[in-house]
Amino acid sequence: MKPNTNIRPRLSAFQVPRTLILINIILAVAYFIAIAFFFKIGNPVLFGLLIAGEIFHLWQTIGYATTIWRLETPVLPDVVMSDPVDVYITVVNEPVEIVEQTVRAALAMDYPNHTVWIMSDAKNAGNPDWQEYEDLAARLGAKCLTHTVKGGAKAGNINKGMLVTTAPYIVIFDADHIPHPDFLAKTMPYFSDSKMGFVQSPQYYKNHAENAITAGSWEQQEIFFGPILQGKQRLGAAFMCGTNMVMRRTALNAAGGMNETSIAEDFLTSLFVHAKGYKSVYVPEVLAEGLAPEDFLSYYKQQFRWARGSLEVIFRHSPLTMRGLTWRQRFQYLASASYYLNGPVVLVNALFPLIYFFTGQVIFQISTMTLAAFFLPYIFSSLYILETSSNYSFTYRALSFSLGSFWLQIMAAYGAITGKKVAFAVTSKTKLGGSFPRLAAPHIIYVILAVAGLTVGFLRDGISASYLTNAAWALFNIALFWPFIAAAIGRPSWIPSEKPAEERTS
Amino acid sequence: MMAAVRTFVRERSAWPWLAVMIAFVTVVSLSFLLGQSLRLDEAQSFFQTARTPSRLLELVAQDVHVPLYHLLLHVWSVAFGNGVATARILSLLFFAATIPVVYLIGKENFSRRIGLTAALLITISPFMNWYGSEARMYTLLTFMTVLNQLYFMRAWKKGGNSWIGYGVTAVLGMYSHYFFALVLVTQAIFYLTHRKSFQEGALKRLTAVAVAVGVALAPWLYFVFLQGSASSTKPQLAKPTSVDLFNTFSQFLFGFQTNYINTIIVSLWPILVLLSFLTLQRKKKMDSSAMYFAYAGIIPIVFAFLFSIGVRPLYLSRYLIVCLPALYLFIASVFSSYSTKFRLLLGAFLVLTMAGTLYVEIVSPLTPVKENYLGATRYLEKNAEPQDVVLVSAPFTIYPIDYYYVGRASVLTLPLWDRNKAGSAPAFNAQTLPGEVMKVTSDKQYAWLLLSYDQGYQKTIKGYFDGHYAMVDKQRFSDDLILYKYKVRYDPVVNLSAPATP
Repeated sequence: MKPNTNIRPRLSAFQVPRTLILINIILAVAYFIAIAFFFKIGNPVLFGLLIAGEIFHLWQTIGYATTIWRLETPVLPDVVMSDPVDVYITVVNEPVEIVEQTVRAALAMDYPNHTVWIMSDAKNAGNPDWQEYEDLAARLGAKCLTHTVKGGAKAGNINKGMLVTTAPYIVIFDADHIPHPDFLAKTMPYFSDSKMGFVQSPQYYKNHAENAITAGSWEQQEIFFGPILQGKQRLGAAFMCGTNMVMRRTALNAAGGMNETSIAEDFLTSLFVHAKGYKSVYVPEVLAEGLAPEDFLSYYKQQFRWARGSLEVIFRHSPLTMRGLTWRQRFQYLASASYYLNGPVVLVNALFPLIYFFTGQVIFQISTMTLAAFFLPYIFSSLYILETSSNYSFTYRALSFSLGSFWLQIMAAYGAITGKKVAFAVTSKTKLGGSFPRLAAPHIIYVILAVAGLTVGFLRDGISASYLTNAAWALFNIALFWPFIAAAIGRPSWIPSEKPAEERTS
Repeated sequence: MMAAVRTFVRERSAWPWLAVMIAFVTVVSLSFLLGQSLRLDEAQSFFQTARTPSRLLELVAQDVHVPLYHLLLHVWSVAFGNGVATARILSLLFFAATIPVVYLIGKENFSRRIGLTAALLITISPFMNWYGSEARMYTLLTFMTVLNQLYFMRAWKKGGNSWIGYGVTAVLGMYSHYFFALVLVTQAIFYLTHRKSFQEGALKRLTAVAVAVGVALAPWLYFVFLQGSASSTKPQLAKPTSVDLFNTFSQFLFGFQTNYINTIIVSLWPILVLLSFLTLQRKKKMDSSAMYFAYAGIIPIVFAFLFSIGVRPLYLSRYLIVCLPALYLFIASVFSSYSTKFRLLLGAFLVLTMAGTLYVEIVSPLTPVKENYLGATRYLEKNAEPQDVVLVSAPFTIYPIDYYYVGRASVLTLPLWDRNKAGSAPAFNAQTLPGEVMKVTSDKQYAWLLLSYDQGYQKTIKGYFDGHYAMVDKQRFSDDLILYKYKVRYDPVVNLSAPATP
């Protein structure tokens, strides 16, 4: 199936006035200073935990603010490129009919000199139908390379392909990401700059309206491929996202090939490419259309993989100490990787009301209104910045999926710190049925404890200001986890039902 | 053609709803609120407006207000009489007139549904209903604010003659209350942050309106300067706290409640965060109109709060009533961004809670703003004898007592204040208190001490009486109004009319 390039999905990003960004930073700092230095402390341990979490939030706020300070859309150089390009379509066990669409579209790209390769790890993965990919390639006029040496997962697949192919530029498509005909026309000209290492385009999910999980998944992606990557583009820190990208072979070789030690090989390889002095470009235009995970288990695994891989960068390849990076790049890599440290912060914040219910311990001995006077302006301005910068594409469901992922982020952090091995999980391209309540077990336990805590707290304190405020926070957390729980147990009707509209523009 | 007819029918159908809303506030006011006791501020209104226009202007100039309401009340009293209920009906009229204007603003800037929702919130607002039955300028101020905002939005989006309406309402608003200036300041800030969306020439017109307001207000300000002020005729305001800040929003939605109910309401503030998160919906953009009402509903409050902390305390929620319609319009527009089910659920909850708190505010004797001076004076009329003295503190609370009291005991203030002399009440002095008390009680049998509006020395006065005299009676008439009776003399009373016994 050939995507119609005249009806192209649109990505949303909006340049927020810098005054508002500045106000947001001021309010965030004011809130932090107020709680850190001016409020009477209750339980010192709880206070310490809160402050640690708020330092992280402040870091996130400043990180996001500096990223979106000025969004940049690159100007396509007015040059015609005709250097040879090898197009890799990486497969393991994806349905052949899905791969066929991608191969056909890749072959149909408007470019004078490109070869399409199916890079198959199917035989290594024990896929009994591995020969179907070879048949497909032969039938469509593409080439297929079936690897027989195991190891390296997707990165290994690409590296093994590079040993065979020779073109100076390599394009990577996941099996389900169907390129538009102008993909190469809109990416290759950037390589007229000899220091250009790679060009990344958005990872658009064409099935985002399929169900609540694909929708939530895309809504999370949209803010990343909208304002965040456009901001990183300005700062020279746009990184690879695994698919829909073009790489310069020499840059990749300089970085030691695709990194096979991490399950987020794209992120880490970008870091090494940048460290070697190569540049990157992010083209904020949908040039290929793929599939989001359609079931909750696939979504969960995908998120875990990204979290684990990103956190490994912090713990094993710290951008702060890596040579060759600019300080902007260091900051941006750290900001992106550290996003997944949010899990412990979400959990600790969610536990504060429960701790109050069961023990009576509070963080501050102040009027709850005083806290609100500093907190509300900060949170409202942050929300406004988030919404406007994403051009109103970020949703409550996306927020719930992000914050609801706290447990997998904690597990990923544990894995990254201890080095415990985790099997590489390929995101399923076909829908797995059923429900996965186990994946939402921490959230369900939280709901149960919150309900019990409400009773315990009431019996001890009655209707006090502290009780009510903590009850409201507990309700807040339950409401925030609710779409995540609903998605896990397969009750999409419990999720805010809004489906993303098909937004296409001529 | 059919579409035009449908639009006409649809547009017309809003008016019966508005009529019902106006009928509702009228019935509530007539049934429950107009008959309540005169309040301190109202007594000032009566005191000031029962004079000749020139004297009225002098008194208002010495006070902290501008004269439009007082002049209107003066004319109103001349035409319809000077009873408490009659005066309050003037406020009710402005309140009722505010409802359709709020509807119009909502309809023109969002939708008919949002207009009706905002009008409904105004209708059942405990705060508005309270001031809709108070002989003060607050509903006039609200009415001028919404009229001004109606014209401002029209001028912003369409330009043309709306600028004239905007200018006229700006001048009238400034003559309704000084705090109206915050409405204009907010509009200026909105212009600065959204100037690209204004019509060409908007800056010139805004400047012209600002100059017109300045020129129109200048004579009054000069007159005020000539008069000087009488600061002690009003309660002194304390520096506001964060609790006051949140109480303002709580009062705007749920009226004047007891501390207990208020604590419940404001402690649930994290729900606000949740509700704001729930507005995160795809392509549900907060448009510029909603942004204006967010500005208009919040900026004056924040400004007054910061000014009161940093410069001079002048923070009173009723002064900030200019924010209330904008806040309701903003809430109505936010509600429209929720899914239908959630909107209905949340809307029903809000409406029922507001209606419930309105009921509680009306019927509860514990409502903190209730000032039962009528009850206190009736009690005094019945129990205070010619040989007793009634001592009122703070001194300015003498106004409502004066209005009602036709008893036999003399009524004085503590500290002593001769209101026939020009100038404000004297400052309290603990050193002179014993002498003042001795002076006014030396030939009296009982002293009736009526305390309200504590200005920081109520405890000292009460302590002095408790330490020197025996308390023989205590009555609480409303939350802040307590009457104490002290026996100040122990020799027998000589009854001159009784025959002498051998």
